Amino acid sequence: MSRRTTLATAAAALVALTLGACAPSADSPEPGAAAGAGCDGDAVALDVWSWRTEDLKTYERIFDVFEKANPCITVNFQAHLNTEYDQILRTGLTGSDGPDIAQVRSYGLLQPLVEGGNLEPLEDVVPALADFDDAILDGSRGREDGAVYGVPLASQTIQVYYNTAIFEEHGLEEPETWDDFIALNDTLLEHDVTPLAVGARDGWFVPTVHDALTAAQYGGADFQEALRDGATDFTDPAYVDSIQTLKDLQQYMPDDVTGVQYTDAQVLFTSEQAAMFAGGSYELAFFQDANPDLDLGVFQVPPPPGSALDHPVSAGYADGSWGLSATTEHPEEAETLLNWLATPEFGQLVADELKQFSPIPGVEFSDPLQQEMWDLYQESPAPYLLLVDYRYGDPVGTDLMGEAGQKLFLGDTDAEGAADVIQDGLSAWWTPGE
Amino acid sequence: MSRRRRAAALPTPVALLFILPAAALFAVFVLYPMATALTYSLFSWRGTAQDAFVGLDNFVALFTTEPYATQLPRAFGHNALLFAGAMVVQNSLGLLLAYVLHRRGRLRRLFQVLYTMPYLVSPLVVGYLWSLLLSPLFGPVNAALRAVGLDAVAQPWLGDPDTALWVVVLVTAWQWVGFPLLVYGAALGALDPTLEEAAMLDGASSRQRFWHVTLPLLTPVIGTVSVLTFIFSMEAFPIPYALGGSSGSPAGATDVMSLLFYRTAFHSGASNAIGISSAVAIVLFVVIVGVSVAFTRWFRRVERRLT
Repeated sequence: MSRRTTLATAAAALVALTLGACAPSADSPEPGAAAGAGCDGDAVALDVWSWRTEDLKTYERIFDVFEKANPCITVNFQAHLNTEYDQILRTGLTGSDGPDIAQVRSYGLLQPLVEGGNLEPLEDVVPALADFDDAILDGSRGREDGAVYGVPLASQTIQVYYNTAIFEEHGLEEPETWDDFIALNDTLLEHDVTPLAVGARDGWFVPTVHDALTAAQYGGADFQEALRDGATDFTDPAYVDSIQTLKDLQQYMPDDVTGVQYTDAQVLFTSEQAAMFAGGSYELAFFQDANPDLDLGVFQVPPPPGSALDHPVSAGYADGSWGLSATTEHPEEAETLLNWLATPEFGQLVADELKQFSPIPGVEFSDPLQQEMWDLYQESPAPYLLLVDYRYGDPVGTDLMGEAGQKLFLGDTDAEGAADVIQDGLSAWWTPGE
Repeated sequence: MSRRRRAAALPTPVALLFILPAAALFAVFVLYPMATALTYSLFSWRGTAQDAFVGLDNFVALFTTEPYATQLPRAFGHNALLFAGAMVVQNSLGLLLAYVLHRRGRLRRLFQVLYTMPYLVSPLVVGYLWSLLLSPLFGPVNAALRAVGLDAVAQPWLGDPDTALWVVVLVTAWQWVGFPLLVYGAALGALDPTLEEAAMLDGASSRQRFWHVTLPLLTPVIGTVSVLTFIFSMEAFPIPYALGGSSGSPAGATDVMSLLFYRTAFHSGASNAIGISSAVAIVLFVVIVGVSVAFTRWFRRVERRLT
């Protein structure tokens, strides 16, 4: 063999080796292939992607129900690491190896996929979407065309949790008025119990606490409307007052609150060193898990005198939905699955098995506290304002409130200054009324 | 002789074949992503879809529009402080420890291993560990300070903008001090001992020997360590992220370039996120390469003057 031939052969072998490593194995067995039993023709496998690695087994059980009713469709459920999911999904949906149906984020973080043309609009595909709550559907809308790009999967509500044992010990009850709320905070402080478990070192947690405590004060959905109409902006006196209330309530939070982590606040509450925790419905499973003896109650904070609303509210938002890939090779089967994901049957499974708030009409919750949070939200809903409407540009509203709130707690700015931080930051990409 | 030299200058086809695997990996995993980042930054984006060619518009936007016009210099300043802090704390301490260990032969290995241990732990883990240690509620650091009566010194270390960045510097130094220690240790071991002996015979004190004999001989290594420290400081991500989150809490006091990139790329709902974030990456790259090259040249000149 001449030297040149040796070289060429070696190079060819090297290339073949490299390529071989990249090619997916064609004969690897399809997971869940057995579910095709009972199908007359060939079963179609749908790839479904999710960021809930912790729910993998549960989802497989849930999709077994679907496969039983639809023997010709198998669901190949794959979960990717939450923190890497957005990147993997973007690559998957733009390439050829992507999912047919995928869990997608809500509001602002959904937009890159919509604008990139990676998802199909769903109103004509899934008729049941018409029965969903409009505020929840907003989480799945494309910002420019207003079309719905996802079947809502879960929603979250924000309220105040309290430790019923600590309340009973000090003769306290759920507050009916703002004065009740302040009085019970004072009583707890006198007895050396931290009233409010708050950690402001994690910026994202500050807007959650702010809306849990003061959404009714600045006006909730009415204020959202006024901002959308261009009638006001974040320097509105009602909004400034609500930030001042957050500052006034700092005395009931742990000392050096900007140094306290969100997880520290969780531990303060679950270890019964703090009486109340202002947070999302997603906390419930963790609280019950961390301390099974914890007796919990929830309430909405009554608005202080002079508030924009005369009744308390729960802030809420849509948290993820199911999107349809624009490049799916099995549109018919994918549509069948998507329609099932909008049925009360699936919603009830989400509520019972995953302990999440399914926004599908008609779903009921077996955990009484979960039911109570949902009922409170249904009675008097409000938007989790900075997340719902103000994550469509850079900087995002929740980050701005995080920074402004930290400055406020540190005493580096007052309520007006904090409102200015939010308004000035948002003005980079948002004009009231647009 | 001349034939051998020519052979060294022009690799044979077989030599090329041996270079090929490494070169292919380098091209695919280093050159290609860098080239794509550059091209990405020259286009506007609509979500994941590439839009029109816009030339340097993304860079202009980065320097002239909010929030980047404020956040970019702030983040860059923090990176510079991280570098200064690493030079003063981490590298001086590393040199000092290497020098002390070099003169005490017996326990050198043991202490080299001990000081290098944190280096083996993921920086993200180190960051979270220290954020637990420094918690104002449950952290043992403040508890220990209070226990010995130093209540006034106990601080919300990571909650105060005046101390937070220095905590990042110290935690980084805690983890990486083993790096200068090892490099300086190796360099000290390679120095010709007769030079120091000669100085000793001439009556130079140990301090004079360090300043006038050992330190000048270490200049090339100091240069290398400084350039590497600069690169590490500019690219700092896991420790600031673990200590201050993606927005550089509190109130942006620990924001650095990589966090700015992370936020712009993955955390914003802006349509052109890929374009702007690629521009951030390119600016960071240019600064690192530019300063590193200038730094190396300057150090070469200093070296030449010394020899």
